Amino acid sequence: MSETKHKSPYAVEVRGLSRSFGPRKILADVSFQLKHGEILTIMGGSGCGKSTLLRHIIGSLKPDSGEIYIDGTETTKLDDEEFSKVRKRFGMLFQTGALFNSMTVGENVALPILESSDVAPHIADLVVKLKLELVGLTGFENLKPAQISGGMKKRVAMARALALDPDLLFCDEPTSGLDPVMTSVIDTLTVDLTRKLGMSAIVVTHDMTSAFRIATQMVFLFEGRVVATGTPEEIKANPNPILQQFINGYADGPIPLKLSKDDYLKRLLQS
Amino acid sequence: MLLAYAQLSLQAFASIFAPLFGQRGWRLSALFKQMVNIGVASMPTVALANFLLGIVLAMQGAGQFEKLGATDLVAALVTFSILREIGPLITAVIVIGRSGSSITAELGTMKVEEEIEALDVMGIDPVKYLVVPRLLAMLLMMPVLTVLGEGVGLFAGWLISVTSLHLDPIFYIHNATAAVEQKDLWTGLLKALMFGGVVGTVCCFYGMQVEGGAEGVGKATTKAVVTSLTAMLAMDALLTTLIYFI
Ligand SMILES: Nc1ncnc2c1ncn2[C@@H]1O[C@H](COP(=O)(O)OP(=O)(O)OP(=O)(O)O)[C@@H](O)[C@H]1O
Ligand SMILES: [Mg+2]
Repeated sequence: MSETKHKSPYAVEVRGLSRSFGPRKILADVSFQLKHGEILTIMGGSGCGKSTLLRHIIGSLKPDSGEIYIDGTETTKLDDEEFSKVRKRFGMLFQTGALFNSMTVGENVALPILESSDVAPHIADLVVKLKLELVGLTGFENLKPAQISGGMKKRVAMARALALDPDLLFCDEPTSGLDPVMTSVIDTLTVDLTRKLGMSAIVVTHDMTSAFRIATQMVFLFEGRVVATGTPEEIKANPNPILQQFINGYADGPIPLKLSKDDYLKRLLQS
Repeated sequence: MLLAYAQLSLQAFASIFAPLFGQRGWRLSALFKQMVNIGVASMPTVALANFLLGIVLAMQGAGQFEKLGATDLVAALVTFSILREIGPLITAVIVIGRSGSSITAELGTMKVEEEIEALDVMGIDPVKYLVVPRLLAMLLMMPVLTVLGEGVGLFAGWLISVTSLHLDPIFYIHNATAAVEQKDLWTGLLKALMFGGVVGTVCCFYGMQVEGGAEGVGKATTKAVVTSLTAMLAMDALLTTLIYFI
């Protein structure tokens, strides 16, 4: 993929994104950039707004304020039809997989291929086989999502996200629920696709090993705000105590538990 | 709410007619699947319900007409009410309970499992992909089921009249055909078509609206059934007024 094809140096740029659900502010002034051909990981505690952020970038949600640029195009103001053109270059892996339960694994992966153009079914079949092989699921084409494990669903979702060789891949916790070997396979796949095919990717993850293995850029969210951004080296060296507690997975630190043990006892006795 | 419903319905009907203007055609395989789901699978229940109502109508009619010494009128009563009213109505009730509710539950589950969002991201229009085959199947199958139901209902009326009420089989048929016009059949089918449109759009609409997990799916399904029934009856009253009283 040549550099001249791109309109902007950034595949994705988010500026001052804010969003509330009712009275709760979920995202507050989030900004970051992703260069073409790189992998950005979004990290942060459970419930800090990572999936919500991703949903805004893929256009399922509209922000209260702020802008999102996909290769230089401001997408928050596009109408559905214009946005669907931009989305043609997206691949998305949902946190829950979001596989179509009424279809087999093979049909799930084939769907975006068959819908995007008039591909002959046998060509689509071939592509499906290839993509399933990439995620280590050869021979599972004819099972329904209900008949495969959680980790396998994730991998089918990955195969489906990659079905059309997207320019931009979004993954919401692609490796949660996978064993270490499969995690490594998926990580290597993501890295290979960006290095070799020029794809760019945003990956939401809790898994620090995985994050440091694939990321070229990292964004760390805490309660809807960006606490730190940078390369993996910069993040490792960042002295921010919240960040360090998260990276190292310490139970004690500045990250507040919503309810500590003492609080709990106190409330229990009061009531 | 009403606005969103109108918007979805318009969008769906526009997508149904889009292939006539050179856009990509209907998904025939999806349409056939829905026609089987909505139509073929409902046939036994529709037939049974109409059969029973045919019997009930004949017996109730006979009870009343006997006092007047005019049991011959049973044939007229059964034929007339089944073609004009009972056939389309009871068929729609069965379809709402069986297929309408399952449309809402299925679309609602897809909504809460993020499947619809996934379609959107793939650039696949959920209205074209999910709503159109279901609505079209409703529009096509409701009249078909109604014809089937009416046939069974008329037969049931004849059967009970001949066997239990001792009416002459040929004379019954003669009376029956004399009592109705072709218009009665057509208006019944027109009603069925309109019911199909109402039920299809309402049930798809509630399905696509679902929020909040399994509980949301349950609530939406109940609402879809209640709204479909009410809207169907209102439509019936409106059409009857328009056709027979204006
Ligand atoms: N549709 C919604 N309506 C109201 N609140 C919402 C909605 N979606 C998300 N939230 C809230 O936004 C917050 C962030 O949710 P989000 O799913 O983005 O978290 P996350 O960072 O992805 O967490 P996890 O790592 O557990 O997946 C949560 O507190 C959640 O309650
Ligand atoms: Mg999440």
